[in-house]
Amino acid sequence: MTGLVQDVLRMGNQISAQFRHLPGPDAASAVANHISLFWESRLQDDLFALVDDGDLDLDPILVDAVARLRTV
Amino acid sequence: MTLLIEPDLGTPPSTGVDLVTVEVDGTSVDVPQGTSVMRAAAIAGFAVPKLCATDTLDAFGSCRLCLVEIEGRPGTPASCTTPVTPGMRVTTESPRLQRLRRGVMELYISDHPLDCLTCPANGDCELQDMAGVVGLRDVRYGYAGENHLDAPIDTSNPYFDFDASKCIVCSRCVRACDDIQGTFALTISGRGFDSKVSPGVHEPFFDSECVSCGACVQVCPTSTLQEKTVIEIGVPTRTVLTTCAYCGVGCSFKAELKGNQVVRMVPYKDGGANEGHSCVKGRFAWGYATHAERITKPMVREKTSDPWREVSWEEAIAFAADGFKRIQAEHGRDSIGGITSSRCTNEEVFVLQKMIRAGFHNNNVDTCARVCHSPTGYGLKTTLGTSAGTQAFSSVEKADVILVIGANPTDGHPVFASRMKRRLRQGAQLVVIDPRLIDLVRSPHIEATHHLPLLPGSNVAVINAMAHVVVTEDLVDREFVRDRCEDFDVWAEFVARPENSPEAAATVSGVDPQELRAAARLYASAANAAIYYGLGVTEHSQGSTMVIGLANLAMATGNLGREGVGVNPLRGQNNVQGSCDMGSFPHELSGYRHLSDVVARTMFEERWGVDIDPEPGLRIPNMLSAAVDGTFRGLFIQGEDIAQSDPNTQHVTAALDNMDLVVLQDLFLNETSKYAHVFLPGTSFLEKDGTFTNAERRINRVRPVMSPVPGKDEWQVACDLAHAMGYEMGYTDASQIMDEIAAVTPTFAGVSFEMLDRLGGVQWPCNDIAPEGTPTMHVDGFVRGKGRFVETPFVATDERTTRKFPLILTTGRILTQYNVGAQTRRTPNVAWHPEDVLEIHPSDAEMRGVSTGDRVRLESRIGATTLHAVVSERVPLGVVYTTFHHPTTGANVVTTEYSDWATNCPEYKVTAVQVSPATRELTADEAMARADISAVATPVGP
Repeated sequence: MTGLVQDVLRMGNQISAQFRHLPGPDAASAVANHISLFWESRLQDDLFALVDDGDLDLDPILVDAVARLRTV
Repeated sequence: MTLLIEPDLGTPPSTGVDLVTVEVDGTSVDVPQGTSVMRAAAIAGFAVPKLCATDTLDAFGSCRLCLVEIEGRPGTPASCTTPVTPGMRVTTESPRLQRLRRGVMELYISDHPLDCLTCPANGDCELQDMAGVVGLRDVRYGYAGENHLDAPIDTSNPYFDFDASKCIVCSRCVRACDDIQGTFALTISGRGFDSKVSPGVHEPFFDSECVSCGACVQVCPTSTLQEKTVIEIGVPTRTVLTTCAYCGVGCSFKAELKGNQVVRMVPYKDGGANEGHSCVKGRFAWGYATHAERITKPMVREKTSDPWREVSWEEAIAFAADGFKRIQAEHGRDSIGGITSSRCTNEEVFVLQKMIRAGFHNNNVDTCARVCHSPTGYGLKTTLGTSAGTQAFSSVEKADVILVIGANPTDGHPVFASRMKRRLRQGAQLVVIDPRLIDLVRSPHIEATHHLPLLPGSNVAVINAMAHVVVTEDLVDREFVRDRCEDFDVWAEFVARPENSPEAAATVSGVDPQELRAAARLYASAANAAIYYGLGVTEHSQGSTMVIGLANLAMATGNLGREGVGVNPLRGQNNVQGSCDMGSFPHELSGYRHLSDVVARTMFEERWGVDIDPEPGLRIPNMLSAAVDGTFRGLFIQGEDIAQSDPNTQHVTAALDNMDLVVLQDLFLNETSKYAHVFLPGTSFLEKDGTFTNAERRINRVRPVMSPVPGKDEWQVACDLAHAMGYEMGYTDASQIMDEIAAVTPTFAGVSFEMLDRLGGVQWPCNDIAPEGTPTMHVDGFVRGKGRFVETPFVATDERTTRKFPLILTTGRILTQYNVGAQTRRTPNVAWHPEDVLEIHPSDAEMRGVSTGDRVRLESRIGATTLHAVVSERVPLGVVYTTFHHPTTGANVVTTEYSDWATNCPEYKVTAVQVSPATRELTADEAMARADISAVATPVGP
């Protein structure tokens, strides 16, 4: 795994860790909001691909956040 | 302008409020209570002769030249040390006073070289002036008596000489070093006739504690302390007022010239940021602007293995534009982008981001603030509502407790540090939170009440623990919180949890819980407590969280919205604040308005005549990773050496190497230029016409001292490239760019060059509500309405020490060098810091068989470098420290890809490393590969 995908995995999990203290739905919502505000589309695409591939290293909050991003 | 001679009223202004009416030589004048007779006389238009007095120093009363007569008082008191009283009647000239003053001057001149015509200060000497004023015609004592005329000249300082034969022992230099700079490097040694100025203990200036701030040179009334440039060139004849291009203090300077040649830079007394003070960089280290290695012609090459080829501006612009267009045609609109520079003016930055958004048609624009203070933007906007520090620098003069965290002001922001130290000497108390024993912890007449030497990476645990003390010990400013803030209860419940206690924090921070509790109590109990922070806060994986934590603490204790308090980022570069203000970040337009703000975006679209993508663009680290992937292939870099300054050098260079087109605009060839295809020569601050915005939001004019050496202003180059890409900007003058900035940016609405020329620097917001700017933010309410408390759970960095890498490396700066050293390494400042060294604790050193001066290998999981070790207790056990000013060291070879969770600001401050004795020096080839390339060196300038 190189380049952006590596960044995406690390950054996504890192953001999730920062919002883990929030109640379940709020945490995923906060992560989704942050990604929506600050991530360029190819980062978001790579993140979606990681989720689609079932990457086991993804934080569950991040997976939940992706589901929310896809509904926007 | 002709040479600007600032008036010297002899003694500082009084802080008195009530006015006192006095009469000077028959003229009535009203002055504040506490004003000296000398100053009152000067205000009334009667300059009393003086030598030891100057209005930047408290009165000293030693020269006895300023004697006056005061009706009803016996004798002839010194006007500098005598305060006015109501109804006082002063006479400044009389036969008796003239006789006395001549007598004083006779004594001075009897022991002074009579070489005025060949003296460097001829025409700029107060002793010479005063001899004329008092009508000295003869010296009754002759010149054959015992004297100091053979005193040796100390030429050890690279920038000024000390000619003791010309010293009149007025002590101005000693007092300036003590009272203005706060270094206490000078003293008067000896008594009576043997009295003389002594740096340290009879040491040469260079070997003493002197920090070469220039304060002593500035106040010297003779040629005793004299700039070498004046000795070599002569006294200047004209002045251009401008702004320093080094750190975020943004000092105002008088560039003093002869013709078009800069003779010296003299700090401007009316400069709001520095009020007449300077540091070694701004005062003296400006010679890089005309350094022989400066590149002044555009250059191109097809491949980075090709030699550079000098070309015309037209060919260079066409080469770059064709390349960018070709990349976009083949790889899509988003395959190119650009980086703006905090060393450039607001106008240059604004135009470049506009070129990218409107000419490249994407939002792939970022700024070098990404790698320093981007967490400040996120954290302060989240909590307070705007991405900026809350105070003016002068605010520190009303602080009772000063909390310095993750900053080393005496090295990084020395002019502000001098202000801070002055306040500390007046009795304010100091808390330092820093892994290292920085100079502020203990230096002459300064001692921190508390030093919390936390382990790098534990900032958030420590700030939560301080908040824990505030909340659990009922130190909260309830009224402030109730009236002005929101979400307090949730936050208070969070920080009050046992896991946020000082005792819990100690396990990760190593900070003594009792010391932390005492520090928190001190901060919370002060009438005015102010926070000053630097990159030791932001350059962490929780940089943004930590900024939020600082804002939480300030809100909880009511330390916002007035002078003496606040949350104050100390910005690294001269225009970090401005480059952020100007819409350099990929997610927002100027004035920090997100691209999703339809009203703001539409306004820009209508004005610029283009559609702006509502989605954010790539940040610098993402651009580099995308380049490694092959989806990002062209980059315009404005004045930044990312191959030296950005973390994980190998990753940066791999990304650059993978791009089809790298266009670099800079003064010198550098590490990044090795990977560039187009080099566009930039302009130094001495050629720029525009504005810088400093760390206190002060917008200062930068005025050109000389024409652009490359033949074009940098903003013109951006306009030309935009034109070649198919987008017209059409500015003919930098003031037009500021006019557009003001038209589209609410916080700059009232700003224009005309207004800045009239008022001097102003602090934004500057608009109809605050037509002369806003020194203190959030006075009656926060920019976002209510200040917002945000929970800040501590999440440890993923960068962990291991058996293989058991030490933590943290990085920083040194006083005499600046960032990657491109400027300061091309000045005599290298005499103080010829190389980066590694500070290592004695126990860690002993364990590894390392002594001071040994060459050591510094290795992380990312890479390795070698440098010389300095064994020092300034660093705690388990921590090593270095600077990143020299490419031959390449400290960023070892730093990692980890970054702040919210902003991707690199985690420069925490890298797990191992240190071991180096088995060999770098080979010549390795050293060359690291060193700056100066293959094409064109002498420039006068």
